[in-house]
Amino acid sequence: MAMRLLVVFCGLLLAVVSNVYAEERPVGLDWLEVAAFAGHQTDYSGVFVYHYENRVETSNIIHVTEVNGEYEKLESLDGPKREIIHHDGQVWVYNNHKMVQVGSQQGRSRFPSLLPEQLSALSANYQAKLLGVERVAGYNAQVILFQPKDNLRYTHKIWVHTDSGLLLKDAVLGDKNTVAELYAFTQLQIGGNIDRSWVRECDSVGLHGKGLPRPPETAKDITPTNSGWVADTLPSGFKKTMEIQRPMHHGKHATVTQMVFSDGLSAISIFIEPNDGDEDDVDGLSSRGAVNLYHKVLDKNLITVVGEVPPHTVMQVLDSVRYNGK
Amino acid sequence: MKQKISVLMDGELFEDEAASLLDHIKRDSDLHKDWGVYHLIGDVLRQPEHIHCDLSAKVRERLQDEPTVLAPRGRTVKQRMRTIALSAAASLSAVGVVAWMSLQISPEVAPQMAMQQTALRPVGMQTRTNSNDYLIAHQEFSPSTDMNGGASYIRTVSYSRDEAPVKNNPDEK
Repeated sequence: MAMRLLVVFCGLLLAVVSNVYAEERPVGLDWLEVAAFAGHQTDYSGVFVYHYENRVETSNIIHVTEVNGEYEKLESLDGPKREIIHHDGQVWVYNNHKMVQVGSQQGRSRFPSLLPEQLSALSANYQAKLLGVERVAGYNAQVILFQPKDNLRYTHKIWVHTDSGLLLKDAVLGDKNTVAELYAFTQLQIGGNIDRSWVRECDSVGLHGKGLPRPPETAKDITPTNSGWVADTLPSGFKKTMEIQRPMHHGKHATVTQMVFSDGLSAISIFIEPNDGDEDDVDGLSSRGAVNLYHKVLDKNLITVVGEVPPHTVMQVLDSVRYNGK
Repeated sequence: MKQKISVLMDGELFEDEAASLLDHIKRDSDLHKDWGVYHLIGDVLRQPEHIHCDLSAKVRERLQDEPTVLAPRGRTVKQRMRTIALSAAASLSAVGVVAWMSLQISPEVAPQMAMQQTALRPVGMQTRTNSNDYLIAHQEFSPSTDMNGGASYIRTVSYSRDEAPVKNNPDEK
């Protein structure tokens, strides 16, 4: 009898110990991978709010996956009507039924790009914490906090649907836990009967009867490069994910070199282009929610740093940009 | 000056004059000696049986032979010291409580204290016409786009309605 009790006790002990070890692995990362995967693979439609700088905007979003890829439509519900179509790595922006901007995601995989090395950078620079389950838009969501280990990046708090893995709410917290930016679904339908009529319109007659124009930036215009430019003081864990040459400003100016660095949760882009004395290109800092942008003319080049990082980080990065030679 | 001293000894000097004279005596060793001698004369005149020569020098000699006593200071001084120390400790612990409280609210406050001094206030992106190009170009490769899907593209269009007010309000620059 005593022997049996001992065995049971040892078994319990083992279970407890293994549990402790299991918790040492940042479990938040699993949720992140799940959310990134579910975001691409799930059909859903809903209404979400975007909150930044004491402003709130409401938008409608539909996301469906067809045989030829993902289709996504974003439509503003307040203010002037704006619409964004996202398909096959390309982005069309409409303002009052007028197409105003085209972007592309050439060279980007259609599937989640959370690479193992990015995940390890993430766990090295953020403390992941599970904060329990909360309700968002009527669904149960696991709350995960990613707290940076330095003050060069923002705190990220995400709410992931416990069943589908969809991201239901996403808060970026800055200095003194102020909200830099927040997305949250207020109403959401996952799967089921989702309106796809606009998808066929996109492919045949085109949205607003004009057809989706091909973006001026095609794959052949965007080329991988090694420009010889470097940034010496990037925050730790930011690894270069790509360096390309691309046309920008609707091809108005010369090609621009873009370097992208990521720590797994946020990215910093560095743009280098010849300074053509455009009056719009003044030195300075600007922001949109959690994204900060810093412009500076360095000798004969205009350098622009953009990232989901605090203002002092984009400034620090820009001040360390230099030409190292090829 | 010697006369003044004798007048002082007789208690016939005005208070302010006496004060300045005593000050002189304290600083001038000759006057100090005179002061001692005059007192001795007085003493001799009054009590001729007990005459002591240069008592002060003898006292000084004896004092030098005395061992130095390393003892706590008087009670009043000690108490005042303690009060100061206590109030200092109180304010220190108040700082501690504030720091602890802020740590309780948000653990990342502590490292960010350094950056509060230079609180950066970026202008809204609407003041730059080209910003959107960079924003879209950046967004394509950001992990946040992976997470939020197209929702993060709302950033690129959310400025439209602000354009007019910004032009009317130069303060916002």
